[in-house]
Amino acid sequence: MTVKIRFFAQFRELLGTDIITDVSSGMTFVALIQTIAKKNPAGYTAIFDENGAFREFVILMKNGKRIDITDAAKTPVVDGDDIAVFPPVAGG
Amino acid sequence: MFSRRERERYKRQMMLFGDEGQERLKKAHIFIAGAGGLGSPVALYLAVAGTGTITIVDMDVVDQTNLNRQILHFDRDIGRKKTTSAAEKLQEINPDITVNALDVKIDETNADDLVRDADGIVDAMDNYPTRYLLNAVAIAKNIPLFHGGIRGFYGQATTITPRITPCVKCMFPQPPLHEVFPVVGVTPGIIGTVQANEVIRYLLGSGELLTNRLFIWDGMQAHADEICVERNPACDACCGVTTKTMEGRRNDR
Repeated sequence: MTVKIRFFAQFRELLGTDIITDVSSGMTFVALIQTIAKKNPAGYTAIFDENGAFREFVILMKNGKRIDITDAAKTPVVDGDDIAVFPPVAGG
Repeated sequence: MFSRRERERYKRQMMLFGDEGQERLKKAHIFIAGAGGLGSPVALYLAVAGTGTITIVDMDVVDQTNLNRQILHFDRDIGRKKTTSAAEKLQEINPDITVNALDVKIDETNADDLVRDADGIVDAMDNYPTRYLLNAVAIAKNIPLFHGGIRGFYGQATTITPRITPCVKCMFPQPPLHEVFPVVGVTPGIIGTVQANEVIRYLLGSGELLTNRLFIWDGMQAHADEICVERNPACDACCGVTTKTMEGRRNDR
């Protein structure tokens, strides 16, 4: 099955965007994003802390609905999911 | 009622929304939190559109490093209060509006009083703690909060209508790490203009606002995206608050 991942802002600069990838059944959000983010260490550390958990400010959306990052470790991705990962931007 | 000068000044936009629309702008009071990168274009466009009363708040002085983006302030203003500089420019660009420029830090003790009877709050801040504070005031007063944020070539904007749409805390419960953020002036130019466009259409009561949608601008790709956003039923800022709806308030205008 395939899912699409969109990164935004500095996550996009580090990891690209509109990534369509095959995933195995039962794969969780954390595992999926970790796998993709590992291709760029700077991208990985921007999103994950040293324990491999999402940094607390990271926004994770699935098909337009927000997923609490604390639930991401137990939420599986399913075929056709459109996933958005972005940091809020703070400047004014 | 409009003076001859006002009729001339607003002639081209009154072709769009007539005396009634212009009157709505004239009667309005908008609170702009910040006279920096976002606050500059927001304030300038709201001023030239004829927003009757603009209150703009900032606690800083103009620094040379501000000048690549904070277009309310000129080289000659370095070292002056941003509020003094902003009030001068806004009053010069439109002498037919009222400008209140408040040189103060927005905090939990004064936010409610500063916003007073404003019809809406523009979030032109550079930090989330103050955004959360403005968010709480908007919810308490049941007035819209026009959110914007920028970094580098990226920006985001959305319009928050308390009790109807997600609030700042629903969308961004945790602030990103504090940093001296990189930015090129066109980014707040674009996002600030989107915010001003929201304010004007809210006051006019026309069009589809950026509600329940987060507008995301990628200046590197010249590409705009939007993400649907939903309220968080467990939000500690807006959950469980129910009074008159914003839509009702908007229709009352």
